[in-house]
Amino acid sequence: MSAGVSTEFISPGPQSFNTTPIIDGVDWFTKPVLVAALSVVVIVWFYWGASRKAAVVPSKLQFAGELGYNFVRNSIARDAIGSHDYMKYVPYLCGLFYFILLNNVAGTIPLIQFPTFSHIGWAYVAAIMSWVIYNAVGIKKKGLWGYFKHQTMPAGVPVWLMPLMIPIEFISNILVRPVSLSLRLFANMFAGHILLLVFVTGGDYMLRESGSIALGGVGIITLLMGLAIAGLELFVQCIQAYIFVVLTAQYIGSAIADEH
Amino acid sequence: MSQHEDPKPTPNTSGDGWRVLSYLIGGILVYGGIGFGLDRWLGTQFLLPVGIVLGAGLTIVLLNFRYR
Repeated sequence: MSAGVSTEFISPGPQSFNTTPIIDGVDWFTKPVLVAALSVVVIVWFYWGASRKAAVVPSKLQFAGELGYNFVRNSIARDAIGSHDYMKYVPYLCGLFYFILLNNVAGTIPLIQFPTFSHIGWAYVAAIMSWVIYNAVGIKKKGLWGYFKHQTMPAGVPVWLMPLMIPIEFISNILVRPVSLSLRLFANMFAGHILLLVFVTGGDYMLRESGSIALGGVGIITLLMGLAIAGLELFVQCIQAYIFVVLTAQYIGSAIADEH
Repeated sequence: MSQHEDPKPTPNTSGDGWRVLSYLIGGILVYGGIGFGLDRWLGTQFLLPVGIVLGAGLTIVLLNFRYR
């Protein structure tokens, strides 16, 4: 993070997210790929370890695993989809939640410090996956035309208002949902990371490169504030993983809900 | 969201605010888009803002029906 020998402060920007290949010649293997792969390894290890020796009196690891699973199962999936047919979607929602959570929190973990979803492609893929799933289960349950009607005819609206409402309903349910899902996650991770970079590199520059005692003092304050921002970011990273999965669950729930 | 099917004690409403936001964006996109197109077509300038306001207003009416 040091500004090196240069005396001019180079502010962090979108170029700070340009990742270079870790191994020369393997172009696709960049830091987000490494972080995502690591997160998968950690999740698999954790849940495999937690469920391997499942016992009535759980071990500590099993207890933690059940806690994590039950959180997604009960307070996300069941509440949003309804107790009748939520179990089918728990594996996806659980996997999605812990994948996003770990990849977001990777932005805080020392030495890793890169939120995978600050590269927008990752967020697009996660949102497209959720989009395909909630549309597919809706079409499967109601048929193509029935699902289309279900998603475009808002319940409880008087008939004379319907023509005005159908386009809104269609655009917001089919088009805006995946876009907002991906942009919300991406923008939060991107902005949070850049904010941290500004505080840390700026504070570091003022403290060590500016050569002025007053600016050095400001630099210390800036670094301390950066620490507070890091705490805030940890909170945002968890919230964003949660909101992404809650919304996915609600979209699935509303796609298969019986109207009237 | 459906309020009728399950006897759940507290439905998870933490995503409702975000869903409302995507409705608002949708409404503004649709009617703002129509206004923009009409502006282009007729050579006027006032229909885009009218469309945006109309879209936001209609969406609020829609949400009123939906979440009542």
